[in-house]
Amino acid sequence: MAESSSAPVVEGKEPKRKPRSRRSTDAREKRKTDALGRRAVELSQFYQGKVEIVPKVPIRSLADFALWYTPGIAEVSRAIAADPERSFDLTGRWNTIAIVTDGSRVLGLGDIGPRAALPVMEGKALLFKWLGGVDAVPLPIVAKTPEAFLATLESLAPAFGGINLEDIASPKCFGILEEAQKRLPIPVWHDDQLGTAASTIAGLLNALELTNRSIREVRTVLLGAGAANLVTVRLLLTLGHDPSRISVVDQKGILHAERRDVDELMLHNPWKYKVALRTNGGGRTGDLANALEGADVLLAASTPDPNTIRTEHIQAMAKDPIVFALANPVPEIWPEVALQAGAAIVATGRSDFPNQVNNSLIFPAVFRGVLDVRAKSIPDEIVLAAARELAAHARDVGLSPTHILPTMEELDVFPHVAAAVGTSAVQLGIARRHLSHDELLERARAMMGRSTRLVKALARAKLTPKMPSAKALGGKKDQ
Amino acid sequence: MNATNEGSPRSHEEPTIPIHLRPARPADIPALVPLLLRLKRLNEEFDPLLKVRDDAETQANEILRAQLADPKAVILAAEGIGADKDKVVGFVRALVRERPFYTPEWEGVIVDIYLLPLYRRRGVGDYLLREISAALKAKGAGVVTAEFPAQNEIAIRFYAKRGFRPIQLLHARSVT
Repeated sequence: MAESSSAPVVEGKEPKRKPRSRRSTDAREKRKTDALGRRAVELSQFYQGKVEIVPKVPIRSLADFALWYTPGIAEVSRAIAADPERSFDLTGRWNTIAIVTDGSRVLGLGDIGPRAALPVMEGKALLFKWLGGVDAVPLPIVAKTPEAFLATLESLAPAFGGINLEDIASPKCFGILEEAQKRLPIPVWHDDQLGTAASTIAGLLNALELTNRSIREVRTVLLGAGAANLVTVRLLLTLGHDPSRISVVDQKGILHAERRDVDELMLHNPWKYKVALRTNGGGRTGDLANALEGADVLLAASTPDPNTIRTEHIQAMAKDPIVFALANPVPEIWPEVALQAGAAIVATGRSDFPNQVNNSLIFPAVFRGVLDVRAKSIPDEIVLAAARELAAHARDVGLSPTHILPTMEELDVFPHVAAAVGTSAVQLGIARRHLSHDELLERARAMMGRSTRLVKALARAKLTPKMPSAKALGGKKDQ
Repeated sequence: MNATNEGSPRSHEEPTIPIHLRPARPADIPALVPLLLRLKRLNEEFDPLLKVRDDAETQANEILRAQLADPKAVILAAEGIGADKDKVVGFVRALVRERPFYTPEWEGVIVDIYLLPLYRRRGVGDYLLREISAALKAKGAGVVTAEFPAQNEIAIRFYAKRGFRPIQLLHARSVT
C-alpha cells in the first residue's frame, strides 16, 4: 500500500554497512517481479479478461425466457416497483458489488487513468469471487471531480448491493468515501483506507497482547500520512488510544498543529489537518528519529525503500518495540534488520515474510458479511468487528511473534470474519435482514465454497482453458 | 482570515475564551511576524496574485514597528492560556481610514486576523472581531470592513454569519 505522502525527512549519514545479501535480495526481487509482469501480460493476452457473466438459472430452451424475460418478468418488476427493497431478493443485487475507480492512484503506478486500471479491477473482482463468493463488477469510470465521482456512484447504486472504491488518490478518497457513505443506501468501502487500517489494527491488537501492552498506554508513531494511516489513527482513537501519545510523521517531519504547512492542510486535506490538531501531545517536532524516541509502536505505510527506517530508529524506541513496515512491494525496513535492531515483532505487507498485513484477509469477508444481511452501510464499528475477529482467529490458532495474523492459507478465517461483520451489522440496526451468527457462518462457508467448486468445475469441463506455458505463448504472439 | 473553519455550528453560551487579548507591544514583534507570514502564506493558496514576496519578513517587521506607533492602527495580540501562557497565539490588525466621499467618514479595516489552529473553532475569532470592532469604534470608525482573498470561503462565511456583506470588490488582472 505504498502511499503518496510519506518518506520521513532523512538527514545525516547512510548506514555504515549494507549487508551484501540485502542488495542481492533487491536484485532478485526485481528479476522475480519483472518475470511475473511479463507472464501476466502474456496470460492477459491469452484469456482476454479475467471474469465473465455466467447464468445462474437453468435455461432448458428458449421457452424459459418467458420466465426469465418477458412476459413473466414484468410481474417481478412490478413487485420491486411497489417495494424497492425487494430488489435485494428478486434479483442478484444482494450479492453484486461494483469495484469503482477513477484510476487516479493505481497500485504504485500513480494516476494511470480508468482504462489502465481495468486489469487491476478485474483481478480484484476475481479475488472477491474466489475468497468471498461476491459477484464484483470491475467499473473504472471517468470522473474529473469528486462531485462527478459521487454523482456516478449515486447513479449506479440501484444495481448494486455494495460499492468497493479502489485506487483513488489521497486526499480526495476521504471526501468521496465519507460523502458516498452518507448518500448511498448500501455499504461503501475503500480498501486503501478501511481494509489496510483494519488488518493493521488486527495485527497490532495481537502484537500488543504478546508484548503485554495496553492500547491505552502505548506511544505510537505512524510513518506516512496517506489513506491507510489516517484511518488507522481514527480507529486507534476509537479503541481508546491516547491521541497525545500518537505522532504522525510524513515527508515534512512530525505532523503537528503549528507545522508550517498546517493552513495549507486545512484547505486541501482537512482529514490530515484534524490529525495534526489532535495528535502529538507534548509538541514534538523534527523527523522520524525524534518521533520514535521511546515509542512502543511504529506503523509505517510510506515509501517502498528498505532504508526508510534504520537500525538507529528502532534502537531509539522503547524496549521490545512493535514495527509494522507495510510499504509494498518493498518494506521500509527488511524484517531481519528490524529484528536485529531489537524489534520484538515485525509485520510487513508481504506474503514471503511472517505476519503479512493483508487487505485480502478483510475485504472479501467484510463484503460477504454485509451482503448477507443486506446492510445499509459500513460504519467503523463494523471495520473494528472485522479487525477483532481477524485478531481472535490468529489467537485461536496460536499467537507468536511470527503469527500475529492469520495467513491466507487459514481459509476458515474468511467465514468467521464474514459472520462477525454480519452480526455486528445486525446489532447496529443497519441490517435489512436478520440472521444469527451461526446462520451467517454457514452461509458464508457455503457461498465461499461454491465459488471454489465453480472455478474448479469450469476448469474440469475445459470451459476455462488450461493455463498455457510461457513457451507455448511465446510462439503464439500475434503480429 | 481563518479564525474559524469548516463552518460547523458553534455552541457557545459565553464560553470561556481560551486567550487573553491585549494591545500588542513592540516586544511582541518577533512573535507576531511569523503569525502574519502564516496568514499571508495562507492567502497565497487562494490566488497567484497573492504570492508572498521574498522580503515579506522584513516588510512585516517594519510595518508592525511603524503601526504600533501609529494612532490610526490597532493591533491586538492574543496570548494563550495554560501551557501557552505568555505565548502569542494569534493577533488582529486593523487600520482606520478616511472615506472622503462617503459617510460614515471613517472606516476601520481589518487587514489581518490569524489564530494558531488549536485556538480555532472555540469562539476566539468571534471575540477578536468584537474587540477589534470596539477598538475601531473608539477611534472614530463608523463602519468596520474586512479585507481578505476573494476565494477564501472560510472568511466569507465567518463574516457573513456576523452581519458583514460585500460593499466593494477588488478585481485584478496581471499586466506583466
